[in-house]
Amino acid sequence: MHKRMKGLAKAAAVIAAAALLMTGCTAGGGGGGGGAEGSPDSGDLSFVYMGDADQQKAFNALFAEFNKEYPDIKLKAVGIPSGNWATFSTTVATRLAGGQKIDIIQVATEGQRLFASKGILTDLAPYIEQDQEVVDDYWADLSPNLVKFNEEYASGPDGETVFIPGGFNTMAMYLNKSVFEKAGVPIPEDGNWTWDEFVAAGKQIKEKTGAYLTGAGSGYFVDVMPWLTTNSASTFNQDWSEPTYNTPEAVESAEFARSLVEMGLAPKPGGQFDGNTAFKQGKLATLNGGRWPVLGVRDMDMVDQTVVVNWPTNTQNGSPVGWDAWNITKNSENKQAAWTFIKFLMSKEAGEYFATIGGTIVPARESVANSEAFTGNAPEGTVRLSEAMGWATPIPSIDQGAEAQKVIEEAWGTIVAGQGEAQPTLDAAQDKLESLVSE
Amino acid sequence: MSSDTITARRPGALLQRRRAEAAGWLFVSPAVLLFLVFVAGPFVFAIALAFLEWDLLTPPEFVGLANFEQLFTDPELPQVLWNTFVFAFASIVTHLVLGLLLALAVNNLISRSIGYFARVAIFFPFLISWAAVSLLWKYVLDPTFGYVGQYAAMLGIELPNFLADPAWALPSIIVIDLWHTVGFTFIIMLAGLQTVPSELVEAARTDGATGRQIFWNVTLPLMSPTLFFATIITFIGAFQIFDPIQIITKGGPQGSTTTIIMYLYEKGFQAFDMGYAAAVALLVFVIIMGVTLLQFIGRRRWVHES
Repeated sequence: MHKRMKGLAKAAAVIAAAALLMTGCTAGGGGGGGGAEGSPDSGDLSFVYMGDADQQKAFNALFAEFNKEYPDIKLKAVGIPSGNWATFSTTVATRLAGGQKIDIIQVATEGQRLFASKGILTDLAPYIEQDQEVVDDYWADLSPNLVKFNEEYASGPDGETVFIPGGFNTMAMYLNKSVFEKAGVPIPEDGNWTWDEFVAAGKQIKEKTGAYLTGAGSGYFVDVMPWLTTNSASTFNQDWSEPTYNTPEAVESAEFARSLVEMGLAPKPGGQFDGNTAFKQGKLATLNGGRWPVLGVRDMDMVDQTVVVNWPTNTQNGSPVGWDAWNITKNSENKQAAWTFIKFLMSKEAGEYFATIGGTIVPARESVANSEAFTGNAPEGTVRLSEAMGWATPIPSIDQGAEAQKVIEEAWGTIVAGQGEAQPTLDAAQDKLESLVSE
Repeated sequence: MSSDTITARRPGALLQRRRAEAAGWLFVSPAVLLFLVFVAGPFVFAIALAFLEWDLLTPPEFVGLANFEQLFTDPELPQVLWNTFVFAFASIVTHLVLGLLLALAVNNLISRSIGYFARVAIFFPFLISWAAVSLLWKYVLDPTFGYVGQYAAMLGIELPNFLADPAWALPSIIVIDLWHTVGFTFIIMLAGLQTVPSELVEAARTDGATGRQIFWNVTLPLMSPTLFFATIITFIGAFQIFDPIQIITKGGPQGSTTTIIMYLYEKGFQAFDMGYAAAVALLVFVIIMGVTLLQFIGRRRWVHES
């Protein structure tokens, strides 16, 4: 008995020590302050961004350009192929918690408020002030909406600037010209069409070619938000303080998305649908996406056979928008070098170079987005992706982003798959979102 | 041997014994190190974590037993546990029955070459990664393009939307898991069958026992230690199912395939609630340990110890 008590005491001591150790530890970027300024022209930099193998290729070429200009800054760039921004945020947080030193994190809208609220990012005001001309030039070339959104949704806890916005993505439709031609369906000349026109086109395409009009997914950014925003709805109100996922407009949007499956214009969800292959084979009339489908379109050698048009509308033009943003973590040991790198990313040259080599975002600078660097070797109408910023809604991303996304996608998926009526399903999702917001 | 001689020899013998001990420790040290780093360390860490609130980004805070209290008030946990137990129970039954039947069939094959082919064919899916298997089945069960649906349509049968229908998603995952991992159970069963002494079977046959009587009264009792081992291994593996669910259904539709490990992952790495995730992990540990202990207690009743 005595021995057992001793053993228990030892175990308790080990656990208590571990708990004490852990309560003393902070996340890599966390705590308050620390870090060092370092030199603007030299030092080691660690940069984390989201990118699959193709995107990493483009990023690596961009980083090589940076190193040509700043050979003494050793940039260690880590691309995380996480697939979505919620998972990316989690991966970065895990790395920070594991004690990994990260100087700059590329964070998209989905994670910006979360990272900004944790007090782990440096206030960029002194750096902006130090290079005011450079920043002013950059700011002047951005869409006013992007500047506004960055301030509104991605500021630090006390309103400080902790992110410099980078490229963005809106949602549009890539049309397979030959499918439309075969079906005798005209492509909307000004890029605008209504839900009714979309359905009419789909029925004619189905009848004449047998091709599906569109996919029927439940991705938050690529499926849910486009149908909501083109019907004056969204998942949350403007300041993301209250969910609005069961409004009559949202219900109407979900029912419309379901009707596309019921009419046979979209394949049934619930398996693995290879949109790119179907598009190439003429079995799918449209691909949904932001800038990223352009890589597939190029690989399929279909640039001339594709047109980008706006998302069909019911009440208004609409699209979600998510943008990349760069920051400097508080515990960076080379803040000046990190700022040098951010300045490089803000430059017109870097923007043009990245757009040319296959970056999968719309360049933040309007001058680049409207230039040959972005529109060249891309489908006709590509400029509509940047124009969509004018009516876009920032993708609502509360702090419990990944959980909220799951609730939103699961409800949408249930409706589109015909496994639940729109109103009660969205009511149930609304309840869950309300409880997440109130946490 | 005089006591003086013993005293003179003692320092040398002691040194030799210490050297032997040191060599022993050196031999086991890689395993001990791996155990400490990957098992004991994380286990202690998880226990400590369960008393904290930690979002990975800001310093953790001590919250006492709050995370354990949450286990009893969490409205999602009962459904998650139910899904997991259903999966684990179905997994044990289907794996044991099919694994044993396949092993019996292959063991009775007359042609040795067909026997080798059958062994490889049955075991082969187990060698494929879960990621590939999951994607493969997503294609196979696609309601529009999947060949299961297409063949059924040719026969005039309308199948349910297996992966999108909450009533069918978990059974589908059970079948996919069975296809992927039954080869392992089959190999265990085959090895067990081959330990059954042929003279006992021959003796039973000479005494006039039918094939069925031999199976129930000779083969099965002698196979019971193998069945016991397979039951434990299958339960532990099934209770920790994660990969196919994450890839195929992500826990949906409507939470019908969210199992406990999936839930743990969501709480830890999506909700950033590491403390509660650790409490769930400890619950998993307690359940697996409890069920395994029950199985060990119950073994006296049905496992034939020869």
